[in-house]
This record gives sequence, C-alpha cells and structure tokens, in this order.
Amino acid sequence: MSDREPLDVRWLEPPEPFERIVAALEGLPAGETLTVMIHREPQPLFRWLTREGWRYSTRYDPAGYFEIRINR
Amino acid sequence: MKSVGLAFEQAPAAAVPLRFLLTAPWFLALAGLVLVFGGADALASRWTPALLAVTHLVTLGFMSMVMIGALFQLLPVVAGAPVRGAQWVAGIVHPALTAGTLSLAAGFLLGSFWALRAAAALLALAFAVFIAAAGAALLRSTVRDPSVQAMRLALIALIVTVALGLSLAAALGWRVSVPLLGITAQHAAWGLAGWTVLLAIGVALQVVPMFQLTPSYPKAVASFLAPGLFIALAGWSVAFWLGWTAVAATLGVLVALLVGAFAIATLVLQHRSRRRHDNPTFLTWRAGMLGLLLAAAVWIGRDGLDTVAANRAAVLLGVLFLAGFAASVIAGMLYNIVPFLLWIDLRRRAHGRVPHMKQILPDTPARTHAWLHGASLAALVAAALWPAWLVPVAGVLVVSANALLGTILLQATLNARRVAPAST
Repeated sequence: MSDREPLDVRWLEPPEPFERIVAALEGLPAGETLTVMIHREPQPLFRWLTREGWRYSTRYDPAGYFEIRINR
Repeated sequence: MKSVGLAFEQAPAAAVPLRFLLTAPWFLALAGLVLVFGGADALASRWTPALLAVTHLVTLGFMSMVMIGALFQLLPVVAGAPVRGAQWVAGIVHPALTAGTLSLAAGFLLGSFWALRAAAALLALAFAVFIAAAGAALLRSTVRDPSVQAMRLALIALIVTVALGLSLAAALGWRVSVPLLGITAQHAAWGLAGWTVLLAIGVALQVVPMFQLTPSYPKAVASFLAPGLFIALAGWSVAFWLGWTAVAATLGVLVALLVGAFAIATLVLQHRSRRRHDNPTFLTWRAGMLGLLLAAAVWIGRDGLDTVAANRAAVLLGVLFLAGFAASVIAGMLYNIVPFLLWIDLRRRAHGRVPHMKQILPDTPARTHAWLHGASLAALVAAALWPAWLVPVAGVLVVSANALLGTILLQATLNARRVAPAST
C-alpha cells in the first residue's frame, strides 16, 4: 500500500509542522510516499529535505493550501 | 502563500542574541523602580531628571537591547547575511550598552557630569560597533525582501538617532551649547517613528503571519509603508530645520498617518488569525497596535493645546508609545522568538532530543505576564494624566510584570539547557 492518510499540518504554529513532518518521515516505510497538507510553502523544510536526501514535489491546491509529496 | 526562504541554519549560537533578550526585561523593571521612588515627579513632565532616566532605561536598556539582539538573529535568518564575528561584536556591544545605559540613567538622576560623559563614551562604542557590523551585513545581503529593506531604513534611522543623542549627551556632559529643544525633538522622532517603527514593520512582516497564523500583509503595505514612512520622516526633519513650519506640520501628520496605517493593517490581519484570539502574543500585539494608533492620534491632535495640556499630552504620548506599543509588541515577540531560537539551537546540538516548544516556554506564565503588563499599562496611562499617587502604583506593576518576564525567559533558557548543555 503506497498511499497513506495525508499528514495535515495546516494552521499549526511553528515549528510544529516541521516537527510532525520529520517524525512522520522517520517512521515512513521504504518505498512509500508521505503526503503533507500545509498552509505556507516551507522553504526551510525543503532545504532540510534536500540535505537529508529526500525528494519532494509541491503543488498548490486551489482550496488554499500546499500539498507536498515526499519520498526517497 | 509563499514564505520567504528563512535560513534558520545560518542562525548564530543562541547565546549571541539571548544575552540581549534576557537582559532587557530587567532594565524595564529598573525603570519601574525609578517610577516607584521618583514619585509624581517621574511623570510630571518629559524634562524631569526622573522621566529622562526612565525614558532612556526603556528606549536603550529595554527596546534597543531587544532590537539589537533580535537583529543578530534576523540578519542571518531573513537577510541571509550573518553578522561576521558575531560573538566578538556581541561581546563588546552588550556590556557597553548595559553600562552606558546605567551610566546615562545615573547621570540624569544624580546630575553627574562624569556619569553623562561615561555614558556618551560607552554608548558611542556600543552603537558604533553594532552599526558597523549590522551595516556591513545589510550591505552584503542580496535578499530582495521588504523586511530587509525595512531593516536597512531602520538602521539609517538608528544612525541619525544616535548621532543626535550623542550630541545631546555631549552638550550635557561637556556643557556645550546646542539647540536642545530642536535636537531633542528630532532625536525622539527618529528614535521612535524611525528606528523603532521601521524595525517593527520589518519584523512584523515576518512574525505576524508566521507565529499568529494570519495571511501575509498586502503587497502595497509590505512594499511601500517602510520607505514611505522613512521619506516622510526625513522630509519632516528637513522642513523642521529649515523653519518651514507649515510643511513640517503636514509631514508630521503624514508620519503619524503612516504609523497608524501600519497599526490598522496589523489589526486587520490579526482579526483573520487562525489561532485562538486569547493567546498571549495575540493579546499583547493587539494592545500594542491600539497603543500605537492612540499615540499617532495624540501626536496629530496635540497642536493648539495650552502649555499645561501640551505637557500632559507629551507625557501621555511617551507612555502610549513606549509602554503601550513598544513594550507590548516586544513582549509578544519575546514569547515566540526566545523559545524558537532555543529550539533551533537545540535541533543543531541535541539532534533527536528536542522538547516541544510549549515545554520550553509554556502558555500560562506568558499569559499571566500579558495581563500584568496590561494592568501596568492602564496604571501608567492613568498616571500620565493624573500623576501624584498613581505613579508609584504604576511603578510597582511595571517592576512585577518585568521581573516575571525576565524570570520566564530565564526559565525557558534553563529548560532548553537541561536537554542539552550549552557549548558556549
């Protein structure tokens, strides 16, 4: 199963979104993709992901949030 | 909503900004003590020694202390330009600013020329070193962002404020003759509407959306408010010196309107905050913006008052701006920034073992401080209008509120140190 519940960190105060995403990634089984819903495009997270060897893609959902898909 | 690329990995060791942020509340408590022992004199008129001491304990020991400390963090994180040799710069600026401010207050209270001269020398050192270091960083920064622009303008305003302030200190310490009234008016305007409000705008553009979970400021506000304010202030300054009273009066009103516009824009954003509207930062920033709005209104409305009323208005203006606006927004910012920079520091040093932010600085003590600060503010406004016995009462509340704030911040630092001992 490669599609799990998206992680919704919209409207949480910093650094909670970052903390939750990092925790979710730590428990992510190999080959799976983590989908995150977040209200601001998190440039600091993107830099961290790149440094730690993760791949990610972002798209803006017209409903008013960013969807980020992260995997190795 | 695009966020600026905040470069947290470039932040200095927490000890660099922290020493400034942790010291600041104690200066405000000291100002409160002067109110307690100074009595009605302390708020009777802006020219009494007690009020001069209080004003500078607040503007230098509390406000500038926090603003300088914050810039050590903001310059790398927002402007992508760390202060080179930050440890050394902070190692000089912090003691010089601390000692200089204490000397200045002593100079005013004791009427001591030596204290005033020492203050002039120490403050000149502190600001020269800081302005050189921060200025170099801002010149190096290639980030095109309204926050960075506001910071540049704030630093220029600081240079003007310090130059005028040093000339006043020299006049008092070395009995040199200068146009005291004119220079004081300029010094206050550049310090408050310039250095303070411009930096507040730069910081607000980042921290209000980020920590209070609001939309970003409208583009027009973000791009034009700080430059517009700077130009209006500079114009007012020139008109003032040239004796063009009508032009100066108009530009003065424009400055106040732009300051008011910032307050209103922030209040509107706050209204759309996704956080519960009773959190300490929200409460203090709302009070801060209302204080700023009232201060702007008093500034506009004070023309045509008789001497006695004009004097009360000047004191009220000071209270509304310093206690109402500056102390409130700084407290709100400290509740967020101190645990946040401790958290960033811990992540770098302790890796897995980072406590939750609320464990570093819990909500309850912050909320207690916010209400105590509100009480002190109400007492100060009342005391500004009817001094006499209200001044010591306000003083006691100021001392209590800030002893609490100082303790909260210290406790947050200890909470973080418990997880991972500091390397510095």
